[in-house]
Amino acid sequence: MRVKKISLLMLAAILVFVLSSCSGGNGNSANSNKENNAGKPTAAATDSAKETTAPSDGSLDHSKPLKLTVFSTTANYAGPQTGWFAKIIKDKFNIEMEIVASNLTGGDTKISAMMASGDLGDIIIFGDDKNHYPNAIKGKLLLDWTQDGLLDTYGKDISQAFPKAVEKAKVAFGGGSSVFGMGNSVATNPTGPSEGKDMTWGPDLRWDLYQQIGAPEITKIEDYLPVLKKMQELEPKNEQGKKTYAFSLWSDWDGNYKMTLAKQFANMLGYDEIPDTALYVKADEEKYYDFLSDDSWYMKSLKLYFDANQMGLLDPDSLTQKFDDVVAKYKDGRLLFSWFPWLGAANYNTPERTAEGKGFALVPFKDELMYSTGFNVYGGNGIISIGAKAKEPARIMEFIDWMYTPEGAMISAGSGTAVPNGPQGLTWDLDSSGKPIVTDFGWQAFTDQQNTQVPAEYGGGDYYYGSNQMNFSFVVPAMVNPDNNEPYDHNLWTTTLQRNPSKLDSDWRTKMGVLTPKEYFEKNNLLAVAPQGFTGKEPLMMDKTLEQKNKQIGTVIQQFSWKMVFAKDQAQYDKLNKQMHDKVNGLGYADVIDFSVKKAEELFEARKSVQ
Amino acid sequence: MGVTSGELIRSVQPVKRPRRKMANKFKLFFMALPFLIVTFIFYYLPISGWIYAFYDFIPGIPLSDTPYVGLKWFRTIVSNPTQTAEVMRVLKNTLAMSSLGLITSVFPVIFAILLSEVKAGWYRKLVQTLTTIPNFISWILVYALAFSLFSVDNGVISHILVQFGLVGEDFNFLASNSNIWVTMIAWYWWKSLGWGAILYLAAIAGIDQELYEAAEVDGASRFRKIWHITVPGIIPTFFVLLLLSIGNLVNNGMEQYFAFQNAMNKDSIEVLDLYVYNIAFANNFPFATAVSMLKSVVSVVLLFAANTLSKVVRDESII
Repeated sequence: MRVKKISLLMLAAILVFVLSSCSGGNGNSANSNKENNAGKPTAAATDSAKETTAPSDGSLDHSKPLKLTVFSTTANYAGPQTGWFAKIIKDKFNIEMEIVASNLTGGDTKISAMMASGDLGDIIIFGDDKNHYPNAIKGKLLLDWTQDGLLDTYGKDISQAFPKAVEKAKVAFGGGSSVFGMGNSVATNPTGPSEGKDMTWGPDLRWDLYQQIGAPEITKIEDYLPVLKKMQELEPKNEQGKKTYAFSLWSDWDGNYKMTLAKQFANMLGYDEIPDTALYVKADEEKYYDFLSDDSWYMKSLKLYFDANQMGLLDPDSLTQKFDDVVAKYKDGRLLFSWFPWLGAANYNTPERTAEGKGFALVPFKDELMYSTGFNVYGGNGIISIGAKAKEPARIMEFIDWMYTPEGAMISAGSGTAVPNGPQGLTWDLDSSGKPIVTDFGWQAFTDQQNTQVPAEYGGGDYYYGSNQMNFSFVVPAMVNPDNNEPYDHNLWTTTLQRNPSKLDSDWRTKMGVLTPKEYFEKNNLLAVAPQGFTGKEPLMMDKTLEQKNKQIGTVIQQFSWKMVFAKDQAQYDKLNKQMHDKVNGLGYADVIDFSVKKAEELFEARKSVQ
Repeated sequence: MGVTSGELIRSVQPVKRPRRKMANKFKLFFMALPFLIVTFIFYYLPISGWIYAFYDFIPGIPLSDTPYVGLKWFRTIVSNPTQTAEVMRVLKNTLAMSSLGLITSVFPVIFAILLSEVKAGWYRKLVQTLTTIPNFISWILVYALAFSLFSVDNGVISHILVQFGLVGEDFNFLASNSNIWVTMIAWYWWKSLGWGAILYLAAIAGIDQELYEAAEVDGASRFRKIWHITVPGIIPTFFVLLLLSIGNLVNNGMEQYFAFQNAMNKDSIEVLDLYVYNIAFANNFPFATAVSMLKSVVSVVLLFAANTLSKVVRDESII
């Protein structure tokens, strides 16, 4: 009898289980119905918008909203795209973007986890074309754009304007025929520096304070320290009474072998690293040096920061804070030095401050040789791809293609590296002669991005978060727009250069005798332009064993770099320095150098293709 | 329902009697089955992941397309002295943190005894609640809390310490490597003291009140009562928990160390679990798998050691 009772109980249990799972299923379908219903009104609402902007060969149906997951390894924002850019792509393509940013959640860890999961999302942005991108191709995680004629049908503008970039995508990563992604910052014109008004590096100082201490001449990088010390003594606290520092570092961009901020001075001397290797290479010559050698500017930078720390010029929060904390410190006027114009000046120089003559501006040292990235007809190392599991690849292709057109570029060229132009009619417009001109609202938005509210009809929100948050520069902003023969970058428009400068700008211009930093470097012949070529072959890659060594060495270098910067005294600094060298040599640094040299030779060969 | 009535009819037939015995035998098996399945899924199935240690696995690429490399990654562990030193450093950290945990496991005992001696009921409950709550906060949030207390710029405690001149203005507590093991164990007990005391409080509640009354009649002081009645009363619980934690010696988790790690303290707090995590997600799953298998080997050795010890001391073995 007991058995019967139990079997009855078990049956009852099974019944309950089945019933509950059934109702669960019902619940799900009810939900999905609701979603569909909710989706309809929006679709109807955007229908009208779609019709007015329908492309000439608009065979694609935009009536259903398309929600894209954008996995960006370069983005500094996670969540739904909002504001003016969201509004533009919603109106034009009925597309919404949800951005997943590995920078904010675990870096490489997040990328590996996404790779292991087998689904990278709808649009994927790779910061470089090393490891992850080729691995994603091998793992069949990316969509081939040539499949079903996708690129030919919906990516016409890309293949017409940038045929060489398509060719590189095919030869280097697509086995000769497939296209798995497109490079960033592509250009049509092949020579000269590709930067806008500002170069990528400075160094910029607080111009007002620098002038007040008598603008001493700076011949070499080490000379900045005493100058900065005097500036700090002049302004020991900011307006809120908080302590000022010359340098504030952040560790969340570390990776690729280095403490990110220790490589920047090398760039100001015409060298740059080859990512994931141990060499720094000269921009315009076949010269390189070992990262950890005594004359390397990586090691010299560590020493510089160490000295700065001894002098009280280095923010003690450097190790534990994140990039956003540093941005806030620039805004509050707590820092006196900026490696990059897009960091110090972009955050501190508000119209009120520049009108008073306060702000960050370029203060070059005598021997500076600015590293410049040449125009790249093949596209840069940043890659945009479509996920293999993307639901509507045609619509995604159409959207990406549009970002490469003059229309897309006028709205958001340079996103991530420069302030984008924004929506036409709001921040800029075409004057009677068809030349672009920045509006008054535009100037306000460009100089104070985070505090400028965009009107609701343009999407609302502030200008900064309303920008394209993918952090991918499709075409290079300095490229000339074929529609009006002006560069895409609003800083380079004729109308902009003729505009009334602020007190800071006019002061800087009189003292330096030039209009823009770029002009300064060009005029004095202080540019090292790196030609952006392509070998026409598949890139060299590390094997798994070497990669393991390289990663471990990289971790060791990063860790020791921070320790050395914050070493108590010179003796401890030297001891750590020796420990680091012993450790990396023990882990097989020599093998990494061998590979790095091969990589440098590959780079030199690639440069020949555009010379 | 139809099936059940059919069974009913069948079961009254005397011929079917022997089958009931069979069913009885299976009954116990079926009752245990769900647990067997759970054990299989969570403890045996993951072992199949060990296969990754033998391939040059790259996430996203199926195993069938990756080269088989045999014991290469195991050899890597001992391939050169620096690498071996790395693994030894991590093992040292692991054992040190676990041992510190074992040594300090008397803290919740002391705490429970002190708590049980508090006569004001409302106060006891308040303290117990406040000390138990941190157990439910994740380590990531604990770090956020630590950051807001100790950051140089805005940290409340940092500011107080600077005001009293106890530390210099530029002292970054979170980036300091001095006494890091002690700091870590302190954070650990801040989080788990109240939770750890719960079992002991239960044990104390289970002690016969007559013992205390008898002691009182004999004129025992409060301290004597604790020493001769409460402590012996909870010692068995303590030993059971101690044995369990010895078995978990290498499993000290990684969340805490993951949240608190930075360039300054990483050398000292990178425990085995964290090391495996850091390596795996620096894109080297095979090597990480090989190292984590090492962990299993250590665990098995420890288990047999404890077992032998138990045989010698108590003359009975666990296995």
